[in-house]
This record gives sequence, structure tokens and C-alpha cells, in this order.
Amino acid sequence: MNQVRTPAFRRQGASGEAPSKAVPSARRHRPDMQILLYMGLLMMLGLVVMFAIGPQRANGLNAAMGEDYYSDTYFFVRQLISIGVALIGFAAMALIPFERIFALRRAALLAGIGACLLLAFAALIGWGIALNTGGAVRWFDFGAISLQPAEILKFGILIHLAVFLGIQARKGKIDDWQETLLPVGVIVAIAGLLVIVVQKDLGTGISVLSIVLAMLVAAGLSWRKFGVIMGAIGIGGVLLIATAPHRVDRVLTFLQGDQTSTSNASAYHIEQAKIAIGTGGLLGVGIGNSVQATGYLPEAINDSVFAIMGETFGFVGLVATIALFVALLMRLLKVMDHLADYRLKLVAAGVFGWFGVHVILNIGAMIGIVPLTGITLPLLSFGGTSMLFVAAALGLVFQLSRYTTHGSVIKEADYEGSSSRRRVRGPRYAGRRSA
Amino acid sequence: MKLELQQGSRSRILMGLVLVVVIIYIGRLFYLQVIRHDYYTLQADVEQLKSRVIPAKRGLIYAMDGNTPVPLVMNQSVYTVFADPQIIKNDAAVAKVINEVAGGNTRSNFESLLAKKDTRYQILATKLTHMQAEKLKEKNLLGIGFHEETQRVYPEGTLASQALGFVNAEGNGNYGVEAALNERLSGIDGQLRTVTDVRDVPLTIGDQNIHIPAKDGDNIVLSIDRNVQSYAEDALKRGLDKAGATQGSVLVMNPNNGQVLAMANYPTYDPAKFSEVQDAALFNNAIISAPYEPASVIKTFTIATGIDRGVITPQSTYVNTDSIRVYDATIRNAYPGLTGTRTMQDVLDNSLNTGTVTVAQRLGDGTNINRQARDTMYDYFYNRFGLGHGTGIELANESAGLVISPEQQEGNAVRYSNMTFGQGLNVTMIQVAAGFSAVVSGGNYYQPTVVAGTLGEDGKTVNGKEPRIVRQSVSAATSETMRTMLHNARQSVNYMRDADKKGYTIGGKTGTAETLKNGAYVKSETVGTYLGYGGKDTPEYVIMVQVAAPNRNLEGGLHASPIFTDVSNWMIDYLSIPPKG
Repeated sequence: MNQVRTPAFRRQGASGEAPSKAVPSARRHRPDMQILLYMGLLMMLGLVVMFAIGPQRANGLNAAMGEDYYSDTYFFVRQLISIGVALIGFAAMALIPFERIFALRRAALLAGIGACLLLAFAALIGWGIALNTGGAVRWFDFGAISLQPAEILKFGILIHLAVFLGIQARKGKIDDWQETLLPVGVIVAIAGLLVIVVQKDLGTGISVLSIVLAMLVAAGLSWRKFGVIMGAIGIGGVLLIATAPHRVDRVLTFLQGDQTSTSNASAYHIEQAKIAIGTGGLLGVGIGNSVQATGYLPEAINDSVFAIMGETFGFVGLVATIALFVALLMRLLKVMDHLADYRLKLVAAGVFGWFGVHVILNIGAMIGIVPLTGITLPLLSFGGTSMLFVAAALGLVFQLSRYTTHGSVIKEADYEGSSSRRRVRGPRYAGRRSA
Repeated sequence: MKLELQQGSRSRILMGLVLVVVIIYIGRLFYLQVIRHDYYTLQADVEQLKSRVIPAKRGLIYAMDGNTPVPLVMNQSVYTVFADPQIIKNDAAVAKVINEVAGGNTRSNFESLLAKKDTRYQILATKLTHMQAEKLKEKNLLGIGFHEETQRVYPEGTLASQALGFVNAEGNGNYGVEAALNERLSGIDGQLRTVTDVRDVPLTIGDQNIHIPAKDGDNIVLSIDRNVQSYAEDALKRGLDKAGATQGSVLVMNPNNGQVLAMANYPTYDPAKFSEVQDAALFNNAIISAPYEPASVIKTFTIATGIDRGVITPQSTYVNTDSIRVYDATIRNAYPGLTGTRTMQDVLDNSLNTGTVTVAQRLGDGTNINRQARDTMYDYFYNRFGLGHGTGIELANESAGLVISPEQQEGNAVRYSNMTFGQGLNVTMIQVAAGFSAVVSGGNYYQPTVVAGTLGEDGKTVNGKEPRIVRQSVSAATSETMRTMLHNARQSVNYMRDADKKGYTIGGKTGTAETLKNGAYVKSETVGTYLGYGGKDTPEYVIMVQVAAPNRNLEGGLHASPIFTDVSNWMIDYLSIPPKG
């Protein structure tokens, strides 16, 4: 691979480190520690919540099961383990040189698709590793650990399409239907089929879509094309909703204003979430005093954790929580904005899309602004797989944040031909592709 | 935070998007959490705050066994099994277990109830015993719950059932002691208001929790003695069978304190199966709620009145012509033939109607039952002997009966002439027996009662209540005279005298009442009554017996008295009364 000295490097000055083979060492600098800071704070907040409502949740489950299976600290400890695993994932993605990760992009995508197919197959033949929850099969159950293959798929799509679209964008072919948008559409369609149709998991489907759309926007897709794509997605969305009764139910519940009806599950869920948030008031009822967590609010520690936090910490606590999420999202945007290499930029964009859509749709559902999609609140919801992959994605961006330029590089990217940087970058890709 | 995003760049647009959403969200949160806080707090309270009643334990009812209280009515926990069909996954497996443990208690369609997955509460089985419920709980079935309820159980079966009454499904006492003392037996329910989890398990969260413990009901000890009651019931049944009668009552009282020792009625019912009783009349305790004309036993009161007023003595005489004219009516004797000069003792011995009418005349001007005579009789009958109004005994559905006052037009001389021998008035057995007790035991009218007191803390003693003297009905001298006269009256009948235990003072009066049918007295159906006392020198017990049957002539002497004799002789043994000299 050719090593190219960029203007960015010259501005920042050379680091003292030895040049790496895969990474242009000249561009390395301190990573964006704020990403780690905000992620860590959110994880700790999640731990506090698990500590606070774990006993209620354990009591509830024990009462329902009639056994003393769950201890008071069960969920806290599990969450701690999840965080430990997630931090390992984060560290791995932060330390393994991104070129090596990129080299595995096809493998990652295929692994994701393969895992989803295996799950579907296992469910079909009634194999025990396919866990059926509420009529949908989304999880592998390996006893002590369970795994959601859609998360692998999401990660695979992130890396694969970031590199693919990065190359296409570099070639100026981002608006090309034949060479760019159609292949992307095929991959998204396959993912959509596996996740939304087979696993009946609209949430993850939306998540994939958001990753891809964020990358397309960041890659400079023309707004006209973007409009066409959004139109197509809109039509597809209507079809998807219309063909699944539980989604119709959710949308109707949402549109009807979910007043006091507890007749259907979504209305009940949203109403309970609003009660939890509303009771919190300005400062919340305090740690350990959440009543909605004792069984009134469904998915209290998973999808509904935001509502329980609202009850516990109040308006002030929720605004602080949202501020942490926004700060993290802003760091992702900054890293994206300051990355010159389109592949890297699009990784950051994809992670932004992933993280952002989870935060927006989860919180929006809890406060009754968007319909329920069954999407987790990243870093806070109980659950290892979601946590691991989100942390891994953040880890990758953390690594990439070492390669940002001092100023924004978007300008040069948008105004073609005016930058010398663009010229020097061109051959690098050409060289790499031939290598 | 300095982001240094490029002006007009796409990151700027994405950032703007995020910020717009965040501003909307925070606005929404402010609305939900600050502006609508009170509304949602109220919603939460409606849902989370549950008030529940802590039921007070209903008091038990005891009878006496000699001097020891023994339980007649106890409580037993029974369980209702309910299910949340949404939680239950394997209907068939759950149904199988429930059938195994509580097959006899299930609702016939409970398996189809389990299939109603859109419901969250279905009752599957009722009235499980504690054992069955424990067995079922051990199975740890998911989505199955239990309600505990209390029901009354009767260790002595049907004993004294009409005196006891029963407790209905709502937990209220009906009839008898259960109804009359419902408040004392019920106690006061406590209250628990608490925040609960979704399964209604109380939580310690919140500052609105209230806990008022329940005050359990009193454990009541009846004055009824289970042995006397049991014997009285048996003797009644024997006597009725022998007499060919279909219904009857026996009342045994202690005349020295007003306590009822037994009140037996036939037919009766099983209080444990009260819901299966077809004829609600069976719930009635005839002794307190079926007023009737007891006929000649009332002569006791007429003569006592005369003696107490000093207008006659036992040896006072009159000329019996077997009929006597009172205004437009002619009063005849039931058993004619004893014409000539007769003493008051003869009147009592032979139940001469003309004799008691004569007493009433002497209460007036000597020849007429004038207003003064009627006022005197009314004062004695109604006020002093307690006839014609409720006694206030601790039993529900007590009837007042009727003794017509001279104030009323119907309270004329003819009426009062009839009343002297027990017609033209309506009284209950408890009224008659209580008044009679006063007449034979020194003149004091004791408040009739079925309650001896409450059970002591140790469960063995009785916190007794003092007997209450309501009034002096007649003088002690009159009482002593009446005792003798009644003893003589009983002695004058050979079969009664011979059947009695020797060495005791036993006395009494028969009554054979024609019944009113379509407004006229008929001789084809008569009710037999015997009212008497027994003891060494002074009365230790008063027994009143009544026998009846449709279209049967039942007489006080031939049919009621043998039952009296049976119980009386047994009482002497039971009370270990030593014979005279």
C-alpha cells in the first residue's frame, strides 16, 4: 500500500510512533477521549438503574415463577458483565487496525447473513438454540449466553457498506444507480427480508436503514436521489405495516392518542410509560422507589428503561441523560466531519445513524411521540448483545478519531476539484485497489 | 462543546436534525413531567394504590358443657382457585393438576375458562380445603392464585341450629344468635391502604400507606347447655313420634337467672347446608318467632294475678255451672261435669274456664270484667309477665305477639274473659316461659337470655354477665302459693304424678288450644302445651313443651306432658339435684 503524506498530517505534525504497516502512522494522534467519557457515563447510569430496579424486577419474576431464582443483584451483576464484555469489544475495535477490520468486511456481512439464515433454519426445524419470544424468533439461546444475530448483520452492513460507499464516493459515483445504489439496495433488501420479515423485528430493520441512510447522506448523495429513496422506503414501510397486525396495532394506538385504554398491549405499554415518566416530576421519586418497575410497565429494564429513569430521576435526570446521548452523537458527527478518508467518514456516519435512531425512536416511543418499535436504548437497556455491538461500533469510531484532520474536510469533499488534498488522495485509493 | 462542523455541511444538517428532535423531546418531557405531573401522579395512584379490607375474624359461638364452654360454631378456611389465562401456557397440564387435587370442587367448564386468553381472571374451583390448597400450591403452577375465605363449621351438627342461625355467603348472620349478635360476632374490619406491585403485593414504597389492624369478633358463649339441648331435642323427637305429632318445641330455662338451657324445635335444618334448605320457614325458631294461643297454661297467670291482687286464695270458692255469661258471650268449660262449689285449686287442677273468668270478675266489681279488671289483667299480663311484646332475647326475628290493651275497642270484657284461659291473645313460648319463671321462682322477672357471656382469654372460662332482674312480677308470697298450686295441679293427675321422680317439687299446667281456622275455633286440630317447673323445694328449671300436627288433636296432658316428664326427670339427674329428706 502506498503511504501518502497528506496536508492534514503536515498541519498536525508527525507523531513519534513508528509507522504502522496498515495505517498511515503519520496521521495518528490522540483519540477523541470524549467518546469514551460519554459512553462510560451512560454505562454507569445504566448500572445505577439496574441496581435501583433490579430488586423489584427480581421480586416480580420470582413471584411469577414461584422460585427464588433471581437475586436482588441479578440484573446489576448481569449488566456489569455485559458492560465488561462490551468494553472488551470496544477495546478490540479501538485497537485492531481498521484496515484489518475493513479487510474482513465481506466476511462480517456474510457472517451476519449466515447467522440470520441459521436462526431461521433452526426455528424452522424446531432446534432448541432458536429462542421463541412472543411469537418471533430473534435470538440464539446457548444456555448461559444468548445472541441476536441481527446485531452481527448490522455490524457487517456498517463496515461493508462504509467501505463500499467510501470507495464509490471517492470515485464520484455515489449517485450512480447501477454501480452504487442498486448493490446497496440489494444488501438492504436482503437484510430487511431476514430481519423485518423473517424475524418480525421492525426495530432492527429501521436501525439498518438508518445506518445506510446516514452513510448515504454523509457520502454526499444528491438530495434528489435521497428523496426518491425515502419515497420508496415510505411505500415499503406502509406495506410492511399493513401486512403485520401487531404493527397496525401499534400505529393505530399511536394515532388514537392512547388515552386510558388498556385493552391492547401497545396502548397499555405507552400509557404505563407515560405514567412512569409523569410521576417522576421535576426530580424523580428517587432510587429504589420506582413503582412502575414492579411490573406495571412492560420491559421495564429493557426497552422501557428510559421511562423508569424518568420516574426515578425526574425531568432533570432525563434532560441530563439526553444531554449525554446528544454529546456522544455530536462527537460522532465531529469525527465524521473531520475524517478525510471517506471509508472512515462513512463508518462514523453509520454509527451515528445506528446510535441516533435507537435513541430517538426509543425515547420517542416512551414519551408518546413515535410509535413503539421495540428498539433498545443503547448503553442503558439491559442486554448484552445490543451493548456489545454498540460499544464495538463506538470503539471503531474511537480508533478512527485518531485520524481526524484539524479542520473539517467536508468542504473540500463537497466542492470538487478545488482542493489539492483531493488530488493527492485519488491515487492512494487507486493504488490500494490494485494491490 | 466546540464542534467546528463545517458551515452548510451535511454533518451540520444531521446535527440540526438531532437538535430539533431533542428540543421537541425535552419540551414533551417538560409537559409530561412538570405540567402534567399531578395528572400522572393521580393516574399512578389509581393504578398502584390499593385499599383493601383486612377482614376481622368472625367470633366463634360456644355452648356450655356443664361449666365448660365447648364450640358449637367454628370457622374454617376454604380456598377459591383462580387463574390468569394469559399467563398459563399449557392449559391441559394445568387442568390435569387441578382435576387431580380438587376434582370435586372445580367449576364444570373451567377448562374452557382457561382458554379465554383475552381475560386475566377466571375462577376455576371453589371451597377447597386447606389441605387441597396446600397441595395445589406445592405444584407451583404459573398463573394460578388463591383467595382465602372463611366459612362456618358446626362440630355438633344440627344441634340448636335454629337458635344459632347461619352466616350467608356475604358473611352476614341470618336468624338466631348469628343475626342478633352479628355486630359483636363480626368484629371490625381493618384497613390496609398500600402501594402494590402489579400482582397486588404490597410495597413499602410511598407515604400514603395506612394500616389499621382488624378487631376480631367476640367469641360468644351461649347459656345453652349442649347436653340439655341434645337431650331436649331427642326427647322432643321421641315424644312427637309417640304422639303422632309432626312439629313441636321444647324450651328449658333456669328460672333463677333467665338463662335458656335448651331451645329445641322440630323440624329443624343443618346450618352447614343452609343453602340447600327449600322451605325458609325451617330457619325460624318457633320458640321466639311463632306466637300462638297457648290456652290453659295462661290460667297460671290469671290465678297468680288474682292471688297477687288479693282477690282470691287457693281455697276461694265459686259455684261452677260449666258456663258463664259475659255480656253477649257464653263461656263454657272444656271438660264439663264438675259443677257445684269449686276452689281455685280445683280450677287449676281441672282447668275450669268458668273459674278463671270468675277471677277476672273479682278483679273488677265481682260480677263484671270491668275496665278496672281489664286494666289490672293487662298490667300483669303485658307489663309484669312480659306477654305480647318482645323479650329482647339475643335471637333474631323475635315476634312480639299480641295482648290487646283495654284502651282498644277489641280489649273488651269478652276478649278479657277469653284471655283468662289463654285464648284471644298471641304469645311466644319464650314470653310465657319467662313470665312463668317469675311466677314460680320468687316473683322476680329475669331478662331471658341465651348468652352466658364471652369466652375468656384462656379459651376455657366464661366472662359471664350478671343476671338482670327486670322487675318484680308478683310478690314472693304469691310465688310460693303458685308453686304449691302448680305442684298440686300436677299431683292431681295420676299418670303425671307417677311418672315424676320422687322427692322433688314438680308442678305445671297443661294447655290444649283449639286452632283458628277461617276466623273460627275448630276442635279438629288442637295444639298441646305443657308448662312446668322442677326442683328440690324451689324451681331449678322451667320446661315448656308444645306439640302440634295438622288436623290432629294434641293435648297438653296426654301429648306434651310426657315430653316434659322425660326432660324433667333427666334434668334432675343432670343437675344432680338432691331429693328431699
